[in-house]
Amino acid sequence: MAALHEKKTCSQRMENFRHFLWNEETGQLMGRTLINWVWISLYYVAFYVVMTGLFSLAIYSLMRTLNPYAPDYQDRLKSPGVTLRPDVYGEGGIEIYYNASDKESWKKYVATLNNFLKAYNTSAQQANINCTSDKYFFQKSFHCPNHTKCACKFTTDMLENCSGRDDSNFGFPEGKPCLIIKMNRIINFLPGNGTAPRVSCTALHDDFRPLDLQYYPVNGTFNLHYFPYYGKKAQPTYSNPLVAVQFLNITRNTEVSIVCRVIGAGITSDNPHDPYEGKVEFKLRIQD
Amino acid sequence: DQYDMYSVEMEKQGDGAMDVKIKKKTKAVKKKEKLESMKKEMDVDDHQLSVEDLELKYRTNVTKAGEILLRDGPNELKPPKGTPEYVKFARQLAGGLQCLMWVAAAICLIAFGIQCGQGDLTSADNLYLAIALIAVVVVTGCFGYYQEFKSTNIIASFKNLVPQQATVIRDGDKFQINANQLVVGDLVEIKGGDRVPADIRIITAQGCKVDNSSLTGESEPQTRAPECTHESPLETRNIAFFSTMCLEGTATGIIVNTGDRTIIGRIASLASGVENEKTPIAIEIEHFVDIIAGLAIFFGGTFFVVAMVIGYPFLKAMVFFMAIVVAYVPEGLLATVTVCLSLTAKRLARKNCVVKNLEAVETLGSTSVICSDKTGTLTQNRMTVSHLWFDNQIHTADTTEDQSGQSFDQSSDTWRALCKIVSLCNRAFFKSGQDNVPVPKRIVIGDASETALLKFSEITLGNVMEYRERYKKACEIPFNSTNKFQLSIHELEDPRDPRYLLVMKGAPERILERCTTIMIKGQELPLDEQWKEAFQTAYMDLGGLGERVLGFCHLYLDPLQFPRGFAFDTEEMNFPTSGLCFAGLISMIDPPRATVPDAVMKCRTAGIRVIMVTGDHPITAKAIAASVGIISEGSETVEDIAARMRIPVEQVNKREARACVVNGGQLKDMESEDLVEILKMHPEMVFARTSPQQKLIIVESCQKLGAIVAVTGDGVNDSPALKKADIGVAMGIAGSDAAKNAADMILLDDNFASIVTGVEQGRLIFDNLKKSIAYTLTKNIPELTPYLIYITVSVPLPLGCITILFIELCTDIFPSVSLAYEKAESDIMHLKPRNPRRDRLVNEALAVYSYFQIGAIQSFAGFTDYFTAMAQEGWFPLLCVGLRAQWENDHLQDLQDSYGQEWTFGQRLYQEYTCYTVFFISIEMCQISDVLIRKTRRLSVFQQGFFRNKILVIAIVFQLCLGCFLCYCPGMPNIFNFMPIRFQWWLVPLPYGILIFVYDEIRKLGVRRHPGSWWDKELYY
Repeated sequence: MAALHEKKTCSQRMENFRHFLWNEETGQLMGRTLINWVWISLYYVAFYVVMTGLFSLAIYSLMRTLNPYAPDYQDRLKSPGVTLRPDVYGEGGIEIYYNASDKESWKKYVATLNNFLKAYNTSAQQANINCTSDKYFFQKSFHCPNHTKCACKFTTDMLENCSGRDDSNFGFPEGKPCLIIKMNRIINFLPGNGTAPRVSCTALHDDFRPLDLQYYPVNGTFNLHYFPYYGKKAQPTYSNPLVAVQFLNITRNTEVSIVCRVIGAGITSDNPHDPYEGKVEFKLRIQD
Repeated sequence: DQYDMYSVEMEKQGDGAMDVKIKKKTKAVKKKEKLESMKKEMDVDDHQLSVEDLELKYRTNVTKAGEILLRDGPNELKPPKGTPEYVKFARQLAGGLQCLMWVAAAICLIAFGIQCGQGDLTSADNLYLAIALIAVVVVTGCFGYYQEFKSTNIIASFKNLVPQQATVIRDGDKFQINANQLVVGDLVEIKGGDRVPADIRIITAQGCKVDNSSLTGESEPQTRAPECTHESPLETRNIAFFSTMCLEGTATGIIVNTGDRTIIGRIASLASGVENEKTPIAIEIEHFVDIIAGLAIFFGGTFFVVAMVIGYPFLKAMVFFMAIVVAYVPEGLLATVTVCLSLTAKRLARKNCVVKNLEAVETLGSTSVICSDKTGTLTQNRMTVSHLWFDNQIHTADTTEDQSGQSFDQSSDTWRALCKIVSLCNRAFFKSGQDNVPVPKRIVIGDASETALLKFSEITLGNVMEYRERYKKACEIPFNSTNKFQLSIHELEDPRDPRYLLVMKGAPERILERCTTIMIKGQELPLDEQWKEAFQTAYMDLGGLGERVLGFCHLYLDPLQFPRGFAFDTEEMNFPTSGLCFAGLISMIDPPRATVPDAVMKCRTAGIRVIMVTGDHPITAKAIAASVGIISEGSETVEDIAARMRIPVEQVNKREARACVVNGGQLKDMESEDLVEILKMHPEMVFARTSPQQKLIIVESCQKLGAIVAVTGDGVNDSPALKKADIGVAMGIAGSDAAKNAADMILLDDNFASIVTGVEQGRLIFDNLKKSIAYTLTKNIPELTPYLIYITVSVPLPLGCITILFIELCTDIFPSVSLAYEKAESDIMHLKPRNPRRDRLVNEALAVYSYFQIGAIQSFAGFTDYFTAMAQEGWFPLLCVGLRAQWENDHLQDLQDSYGQEWTFGQRLYQEYTCYTVFFISIEMCQISDVLIRKTRRLSVFQQGFFRNKILVIAIVFQLCLGCFLCYCPGMPNIFNFMPIRFQWWLVPLPYGILIFVYDEIRKLGVRRHPGSWWDKELYY
């Protein structure tokens, strides 16, 4: 054994390593002759070609089995998420802090809203149809152009005061900011069980007096004719219905925590592990 | 030379006291010099001084005794400086694998620190990983420590705790004091049955004999007398050594050395100066760690470069690098190895082999040379009658421990006469009250050869004590060294027969001188030249067997000359002591244990060389070596060849001699190169008359030849060699404490055959560890590739860190341990011991095959399942590519999938957990296939039997149940990131599992069909 664990000096180790890299006597490069390297490389190339082939075959057959219109499972999408615009994140979630008199402080919020609502201007909604029924808009067949299903129009004017048409600053300078609530879309999801789901915003802490606010569309509902969603392929022009909330009388210079829930059957907002499921929380602070 | 060299020098100091210096020498010192200093024998002159000088030198009295006691310390061997418990524990934490894991944990903490520094507080994975790594090391450390603690306790329970008493004469008064109170200069008395309490210079002695076997290996009792007979203190008669047994007679002497300064104490301390060798398995694991570390750094470096090229910031790339390096650490392997080793240790303990150090379990399996002590290890350490010569024929007696052997023909009248002499001319007797004890185990008062004869006649004749009473003893002359015979005269049993019977035994040539007739087949024939020739031949034959031969004769006295009541006078010898009738010869030997020849044979078939190293005489050693098969039939030494061909020894071609007997004297004059040369030249070696240092040198020389050496022994003189050996095996019952302390393994039943079991188990565990490691390593790749793909292709992370820890430390531990129960694929006891340079535990083929073939297939299985789960939930493979940044953005609550649905961050996170679980299940399913293929390396699994290893089947079921539990137990998603997954995702990896199985069967088929081919070389591990 003694010979086995002889301590080698550094130079010996380097010498051994060099010998390993290139052995003149046997013509071995890193422990193998060149021809040996060719053989083993060929073997591995063949092995990986076959394996990649099998893998590609597996993925190909997987894709063949998928339905292009709706996913096989929606295990994670039992209840839709809710998002807020503008969505500016700070240390503790969405924070909308600005100074009413300082244009620079709210300009970015207005820009975000304008940008977001671009998808809802009349020209963008051209392809969608006008819907008047207050019922779910079921479509069995693809009777819209290009073998698609129709989507209902949602235009900015439905948001009235918060549409940006009359007040291009969305009430920010007045301290009455408009915020927009959007519900995530889920294929074949029918919210509200026949009653239109509505948005309800409250202060997170009860020590504040009830918030003075205005929903647009009035009542703050998502009309049922926007549901169900049939997926990107069936409804390529679909756009989510929106609800705008205008806060009319926010205490100045105070941080107000607000939660906006979408209330309706099938929409849960009490999942402790997902704060954006069925509700959105944010903080609002307006300074003079 | 890696190990430190110690040289032991015993020097005379000014006052004549001996001094032992153990010098730790640097490696620069030449070996030759070391050998030289080793060769220096103990140098003492106390035995050459006259009694008067001695008294002057060591004068002592009651008051002074106290002072000396204070100065020299108590008269006992200091227990070897026990390793403190915390050091033992720390050692458990500092093995090769443990170091790897410590480094990995440190890297994890650094990576965690970097992440924290960057403000990324969300991911504590690196912290968890570091904690898990440290926990694994500590828990397995505790487990290993507990195992060793247990076996230490078993060994400790064998220690003799009864304090020894000694009779001391101080100031003319006799005292009984504890032996540890004795000091130099004390005058002590010893008698038969005592243990010598210190090194004693004998002043007076009456028939004193001591048993030096634990010191020198000689089983024959040694006479102690006041005369100085040899210049070497070990050989001279007038020194009795500490801890040897006084067998008979009485003696008084002056204590010249006490405690650790005694000869035995110095040999014991020699052992503590020898450093323990690293176990082969530790070397293998270090080699394996080298491979792992090399691969880890290579991979980490490659992907660091890739990450930098892709455009990650330096620190991020650094974190990736660290994560990859850590991912290469097989967290579960340490636990697997420890459990496998302790399972084998348990199995060995059931067969009476206790292993002190877990790693030593495997060492016997790698052993290629066994250096065995003779006395007490190969032999029974008691004289036994082995051969008889009467009627001009050599008869063989039964020498087995349990009298299970063949007996000889006892019908001859000569035998009856001989038997009568043996029974009557004997002063030994059984201690009373042992009627129920089997004869060989009974305690006898008397010297060794008389004991042997007494037991022999008790077995062949029946109740000897009663027999002796029937033949009343009239007078007796005990054995003495001038007469060299023992004689007694008895009345006959038959009261009508008035004759007296004179019986005599002694040195054969002296007995023959006194005989004029010889008894053949009951007839008294004149002892002519022809019979004398026959006698000589028989005597030489028996002597050549290394046996101690005694001659027996008798004479019926003339009733007219010696009527009843005749007053025999032993001083005057008023009776005839010549003209007797020769009855026969009886020879005795310390016979080999019954199980030894078979065990030696098995060792030889297993390719292990057995070398005898003993302190006993060459002839005896050679005879025992021949009878147990260490020197095989037909093998000759140089001397044998010379004798056969009738040429001088010098003219013999040494290469023709298979066997060789070297004695200590020759060894002393040998250079270490010569010794190595001799060891190479003669396959069958016996070393006789060796000193403890020489035993050490022999072991070292074997190790220099590249052998892994096991040493077996029981005496203090073996302890340095036991320590030096790769594995020291001590005897549990006969073994001295010093030997047990130095050994790594202890045979509780003193059965040499247990070594064969140890070899078998060691080889099996080496094979099975290989399988376990291959199994454990494989899954490293499917654990690593998700991360590599995550970095390079930016898909959502397919497999999380906590999930990996569950695979490594939870689900896969049991199956990998169950491989330890796998039966051997072929008859491992017919193979040569593994070559420590070539047959590594983890070789290139094993690592490459596991990592880049089976591991690769498992990765493909995992990714197939991953993409299936993603696609069926709405994320097509092509969308996943490059999705990482958005996917992991926790400010993005409406990310669109391939169907246009919008997902919050929370929903995406649970989807990611689903992917983890799916990937986990894929690895598990493939690992089931993996554990099945790892059952064999060469044979088909169908040949080995699917269900033969029940534990493995249970382990697979357990693994599946655990997988189900982790997936479907409520609460898992938020605690350990496991999600309940759909049933069909369990089935996606199945085809890959089958592919693994079929591919490996093809591999094994190729390996079996085309041994030595390219396929065999590249794919057999």
